[in-house]
Amino acid sequence: MLTGAIVAGVVFGLYYTLVGLGLNLVFGVMRIVNLAHGDFLMLGGIAAWWLFSSFGLHPLVSALLVIVVFVLVGLPVYYLVVPRLLRSRDSEMLSLILFFGLSQMIEAVTTIGLGATERSLPPRLLGVGPMILLGTRLPKAWIFSAAASGIAVLLVYLYLYRTRLGTLTRAVMVSRDEALATGIDVNFVSAVAFGISIALAGVAGVFAPFILGSITPNMGVAINITAFAVIVVGTLGNPLGTLLGGIIYGVSLMLMQTYLSSWANLLPNLLLIAVLLVRPEGILGRKVRRA
Amino acid sequence: MRSKALALGLLCIAAAAGPANAQPAAPTEIKIGALYASSGPYASISMPVFDGFKLWVDQVNASGGAEVKAFGKKIPIKLIAYDDQSSTATAATLYNQLITQDHVDLLVADSGSVLTSVGVPIAKEHKQFLFDVSGTGAAFFTDDNPYIALMADPVSTIWPHYISDYLADEGAKQGIKTVAILYSTNDFTGTQAAALKGFFERDGKVKVVYYQGVPTSTSNYTVLINNIAALNPDAVLELGYVGNDIAFLRNLQDSGSQFRFVFTIYAGTEKEEIEKNVGISAMTNIFSYVPASNYEYTPNFGMNLTEFHDAWLKKYPVGSNVAFGANAVYGYMAGLVIDRTLASTKSLDQMDIHDAVFGLSGQLKTLDSTFVLRKDGAQIGEVTPLGQLQPAGGKEELDLVAVYPPDLAKGKAVLGK
Repeated sequence: MLTGAIVAGVVFGLYYTLVGLGLNLVFGVMRIVNLAHGDFLMLGGIAAWWLFSSFGLHPLVSALLVIVVFVLVGLPVYYLVVPRLLRSRDSEMLSLILFFGLSQMIEAVTTIGLGATERSLPPRLLGVGPMILLGTRLPKAWIFSAAASGIAVLLVYLYLYRTRLGTLTRAVMVSRDEALATGIDVNFVSAVAFGISIALAGVAGVFAPFILGSITPNMGVAINITAFAVIVVGTLGNPLGTLLGGIIYGVSLMLMQTYLSSWANLLPNLLLIAVLLVRPEGILGRKVRRA
Repeated sequence: MRSKALALGLLCIAAAAGPANAQPAAPTEIKIGALYASSGPYASISMPVFDGFKLWVDQVNASGGAEVKAFGKKIPIKLIAYDDQSSTATAATLYNQLITQDHVDLLVADSGSVLTSVGVPIAKEHKQFLFDVSGTGAAFFTDDNPYIALMADPVSTIWPHYISDYLADEGAKQGIKTVAILYSTNDFTGTQAAALKGFFERDGKVKVVYYQGVPTSTSNYTVLINNIAALNPDAVLELGYVGNDIAFLRNLQDSGSQFRFVFTIYAGTEKEEIEKNVGISAMTNIFSYVPASNYEYTPNFGMNLTEFHDAWLKKYPVGSNVAFGANAVYGYMAGLVIDRTLASTKSLDQMDIHDAVFGLSGQLKTLDSTFVLRKDGAQIGEVTPLGQLQPAGGKEELDLVAVYPPDLAKGKAVLGK
């Protein structure tokens, strides 16, 4: 059971890497916390459900569409909200309030428009039946979502370290003011990062019905809490640390489900407290976090 | 002079006695307070209940109001309803508001044990009778609290007894020897799980080899199913809410694990909802309760199931994002109990309401079967038969067939190999 829990935890945790990746990118670049991240994930799931039920579109195709649409949605949302926010005296704190409000609005509008019931996609779309990995039976959908997460991490890495825009993004992550002083179009760089973040949430949403069973308009808050734990464990502002945070969360959750199942929902909070007490900069963080 | 004094005395006595014997003025409306959850984890069970209840309110008001015996006339109903958004903290505030600010005549709880749980002590403290629609947690019903009665579901401690009876009876004959129980840790499913474990231990025919609770927020069961499969039980009982059952059934199919007997509560209770999310193949031969939305009882009051379903579709047409299922029946059924209560209560005093509700016990038969209350307010009628989702002859759909007890069975159970 121990081996099974660890193997399942690693694969499951990779999905949460995908969930947390965008949230961490936004924090790294803009030093704001997007509490509507989970709601954008929910919208990604709703989009996949709608594209399948209306046009029969396979979720993997929907994922590509969601990336394009969500990046395009993210850009105007950024320009509408974030520059004003960053001009305020305490943008980190105000971002919590503003994006919490946005989260509530998205949930309410979705509930009014679609109702509060569960929605899902047929399991057969990503293959029915188990896949054996190191002697552990895992749903095929987990392998797909873990692969999608791996690809996303790789693409974000390539974007940050192999493209000119990525270099500028890292410059903004180090110091927004210095980047501005050197003539970098900080707002454009940030808007692209925000769009990518929303798109990553949307892609995670496409896989949500296969990992979480179903999508409901109210799922955003719980997703945010978990995603926040993942990125704090991995290190706030370090998108690659999210990979480690996701795996730690996944393995811990599966071990909790195996040996102490009744308490499993406390895990995100326990991880948060433990990391903040023992290593507040996160596992991959520097000694003094810039946030 | 003496006769004048006598007449004056009689007049005074008459004047003094008059107001005491007079009927209080009839109110212009009967205020019913209710809560519902339009969002959050309990929305999918709360909204159908609320919509079913509203259907009853609309019907009654369309006929001129509810017949209120205490005033000898029909009085319109005013429904005061608030959205607790599935939050127990919000629900507690709103229960208080309905009682202390709105001064409702009758108080109806939100659906399910979680959102009812906070209303029970508040209603008791304010001596306000609580119409508990479907909060089945056993802890709600105590001998020292006369201000509650369970309407539409049996109390959790007796509800699951047909499952254990079947496994100990038919199941044991067919080689079922071990069972795994996986439940969500809340009043509703936690109490059922504990009751089942007790039944199995009492009967001694089926051994419980796995008994674990998971948070109600659990949305992934893969590792739990793998752990259960490692113990190789003959039967698996998963007790959770709608979201739990969806995730469990999907993960069970994905895992490829097979058990001879698998039970979930909502596969049958909210069949349409689960089928939409899980698919037919993952539900085939799953056991579940057969709720009143899938079983025709003969009522002595109110619409029967077919009439109710027609009325439902008229009010909430297909595509209106309102699911028909057991919870829709429960909401309407709670309205029927209130209807009969008003028709028989001596006054709107809360203890008179209590007496009127308990006076219906054993007498009222609705589309949800026979309404029977234990003296502490727990519902002990309306026990749902055990059913199985079996392929409908040659068609791509499933029938929920009652298989136990024998006097209610409409078909024979099929156990896996």
